[in-house]
Amino acid sequence: MTYEEKLARFNAHIEAGGKVETEDWMPDDYRTGVLKFIEMHANSEIMGAIPEREQVPRAPSLKRKMSLTAKVQDEVGHAQLLYRVAEDLGKSREAMFSDLVNGKSKFHNVFHYPTKHWGDVAIIGWLIDGAALVTQAALLDSSYAPYTRVLKRICSEEQLHLRHGEDISLELASGTESQRAMFQDALTRWWLPIIHFFGPKTNVEKDLLLRWKVKTRTNEDLRQEFLDRYVPKVLELGFTFPAPVPFHDEASGHWLIRDEDIDWQPLDAIKRNEGPETARRLALRKTIYDTHRWVREALAEPAVHAA
Amino acid sequence: METWEVFRRHGHREPFEHCGTVTASDHEMALLTAKECFLRRREGEHLWVVRRSDIHSFQDESLLEIAADKSYRFNSGYRDVVEKRERAKARAKELASS
Repeated sequence: MTYEEKLARFNAHIEAGGKVETEDWMPDDYRTGVLKFIEMHANSEIMGAIPEREQVPRAPSLKRKMSLTAKVQDEVGHAQLLYRVAEDLGKSREAMFSDLVNGKSKFHNVFHYPTKHWGDVAIIGWLIDGAALVTQAALLDSSYAPYTRVLKRICSEEQLHLRHGEDISLELASGTESQRAMFQDALTRWWLPIIHFFGPKTNVEKDLLLRWKVKTRTNEDLRQEFLDRYVPKVLELGFTFPAPVPFHDEASGHWLIRDEDIDWQPLDAIKRNEGPETARRLALRKTIYDTHRWVREALAEPAVHAA
Repeated sequence: METWEVFRRHGHREPFEHCGTVTASDHEMALLTAKECFLRRREGEHLWVVRRSDIHSFQDESLLEIAADKSYRFNSGYRDVVEKRERAKARAKELASS
């Protein structure tokens, strides 16, 4: 069978809702596209653990400290699950880590920003995890089957993280004026990055991953679901949004934002891995990787059992 | 003859699941026997056999227990969200009217 015949057969399989397993034949563009997508997801999980880790020492109680630590552990675990799936597509974990710490690959925009106080933990845990859950749940039906099987576990843990984040948010919202001010301050700083998180409008014609059903929905569709779900919940707690300010459209029943209200400029530096915290966090990730080398080496040796 | 543990997968959503054991002299015979025993009515489309001697487990399963109170790892640890939401809404109203 020629490459073109195999490709036609593959496209028909995908078109009919078929799934792809690691050992199946797949076009090179599918393999590299899926690999890059899952690698970016894995990078985002492991880099996403850092901003919250920064706040662990500032947790207001032992219970909060333990639950936040557990959440950070879950996020690192998600990265490990995803790197394993990505490795099977042909790039070693060492190569992925090296590309990450040397700034050659990407991770999600929100993890390039600093955290300032406990209010940030509330916003990250509730709204950023909420945004991530909308996008990840949409991938549960992806055409690359090994990815969907690890996403089931990831999504169920993200559900828990969302409850954890909402619990912290509601605690601040029910509290003193300064606690409420912390939440509002964090919301004001994070709102635009959260909108950026979904990305610009998808070019349906050009998006290969969408055509091959690796992704199942457009960026704007996912962003809309997020706005409809979370904007009313934040407003009913008496907080206000900065630009792009969401408004309720009576005709459609949706919470909308105007495209012209979105300032995309801050995203440019992040795309070049030159965000406010990019260098510092990658350096930290590299230091951790280097100083833990002995752990990896020790684990790679088979155990010596005393007779 | 050796004992082989048999795993099968139906579709692509769920992982391979253990479904039984067979005895066979090598992996090809084990697969053939497993197919006859466990895929007779299309219970799946994918089959694995693994030598039982290649499977390892904890001798002491009490090691699998969670050592301390970790209720924050479970949804049940966050059950009172509805009351908390009402309390936060009431607080927002109180501040708005003052």
